[in-house]
Amino acid sequence: MKLGFIGLGVMGRPMALHMHEAGHELAVWARRPESIGDLPARVCATPAELGRCCEVVFTVITSSADVEGVALGKDGLCDGMAPGSVLVDCSTIAPDTARHVAARLAEKGIHMLDAPVSGGVQGAIDATLAIMAGGEAEVLERVRPLLDCLGKRIVHVGPNGAGQVAKACNQMIMVAAIEAAAEAMRLAAASGVDCAKVRQALAGGSAASRVLDVMGERMVRRDFAAGIEARLHHKDFGLVLEAARRSAVPVPLAAAVGQQLNALMAQGWGRDDTSSLLRILEKS
Amino acid sequence: MKIGFIGLGIMGRPMALNLIKGGHQVTVWARRTESMQPLLEAGATGAANPAEAARGNELVISMVADAPDVAEVMRGVASAGESGLVAVDMSTIAPAAARQIGADLAAAGIDFVDAPVSGGEVGAIAGTLSIMAGGSDAGFARAKPAFECMGKNIVHVGTSGAGQVTKAANQIVTGMGVLAVAEAFAFAAKNGVDAGKVREALLGGFAYSKILENHGQRMLDRNFKPGFKSWMHEKDLNIVMQTAHELGLCLPGSAATAQMFNAMVGSGLGEEDSIAVLKLLERLSGQA
Repeated sequence: MKLGFIGLGVMGRPMALHMHEAGHELAVWARRPESIGDLPARVCATPAELGRCCEVVFTVITSSADVEGVALGKDGLCDGMAPGSVLVDCSTIAPDTARHVAARLAEKGIHMLDAPVSGGVQGAIDATLAIMAGGEAEVLERVRPLLDCLGKRIVHVGPNGAGQVAKACNQMIMVAAIEAAAEAMRLAAASGVDCAKVRQALAGGSAASRVLDVMGERMVRRDFAAGIEARLHHKDFGLVLEAARRSAVPVPLAAAVGQQLNALMAQGWGRDDTSSLLRILEKS
Repeated sequence: MKIGFIGLGIMGRPMALNLIKGGHQVTVWARRTESMQPLLEAGATGAANPAEAARGNELVISMVADAPDVAEVMRGVASAGESGLVAVDMSTIAPAAARQIGADLAAAGIDFVDAPVSGGEVGAIAGTLSIMAGGSDAGFARAKPAFECMGKNIVHVGTSGAGQVTKAANQIVTGMGVLAVAEAFAFAAKNGVDAGKVREALLGGFAYSKILENHGQRMLDRNFKPGFKSWMHEKDLNIVMQTAHELGLCLPGSAATAQMFNAMVGSGLGEEDSIAVLKLLERLSGQA
């Protein structure tokens, strides 16, 4: 199939490579052409040009504004994609933006799925991402064979925007768990107890979690090089808190965690791993 | 002075009236034409749009709901082509938005002052608002005679955006202050102690504040009529939290408080005064 890919960062690049390995023909557009590197793909001058030659287009980019610009802006995908083609947006953006972009594309008969992913860079490389999809079920079924190249767990959550809501929920739970692990490690250390042993002991019990495994390990080793750059979680928490506000739903824990992330950004650790939340606790 | 005034809601109407009382020549514009009527009766001239409210005037003032509204009316003001005009926005909006609007107007040769107010409808009617201004010395000097008709405590805080930063700081203190007093009263009540007596005792000490005195009394009277609606306080705290997010600033108390106001909006207390946070506390602890 002819596939388009926009966003060749740490997540997008391995995802695009999986598509290539599965025998699909790739077209790409990149704001920074140097990010294309040696990727075997046709290089397009604009998103519209890319849209014209592809049946399905994937976007994996950072912000709501970027997705809106690439999809609906001047020479955007909307200007090029044919009726019946599908935009699969794997970025993490605001649910409202996802709904808005989907509605605008629908006016031209273009389908859209919001399909944010969880699993990080390793999940993208191993093709074990969790994919949470919002949009029409038939459209998801059409592109499911493609998504199978990227991930193991693909769930149709609901209509457009529902995938982004699920991702927001994922981020709330995950980063709160990182903060909980950091606080536990800090308390253990301050009490003169070996963090590594505490983590090991907890791994078998009710507090066991993937976050405690992966991030807890990093905290014990004091290896704060990113895994997932904390600035992305910080960005996502902006989305979470804005969504909570729009729904007038109180999220006291997420709000508190968001402030720890703000402190992390203030320390200039945005490009480090989110396990750096431990280092924020050590500041006080 | 010849002054244009845009936005004639609960706050804007009495503020514009006080300018007329102060002897200024006022031209008014409001989105809903019927809200212009009381001002026309008081001697104001009506304008057909924001540009007309600016034309031929030395000063134009806006008092509207939110940043997009300010940006829109100021685009109209800029289109009037009155270079040398001073534009003042007295709405509460994000500091970053105010700075942007200031920069846009500067490009059109218009000096912009952000000058949000505190003191509510009562202060607007009495002409006793607190006014916190950000902008150039020349812009502030031009606006000062108008400010003096509308307010008492008038402070030129700093450059563009500084007024909005001050207002946001004000909302941090008042938001947490109201919550603190409500928590103290809920604490007293749950312990079987008379909250009114607690207030009286605290008024003499370091916990004294205007909020303990005034808002505290209204809590005791269970008078939840606004005043200052809790959804507006939520909106203002959202400006605080968004700015903190953008700057990388840790504000744990404001974040917790903002969530309480968020919960008020979600549970039907949005139209009540912000002191209704007491009701929310009582619900959460089964005291209602």
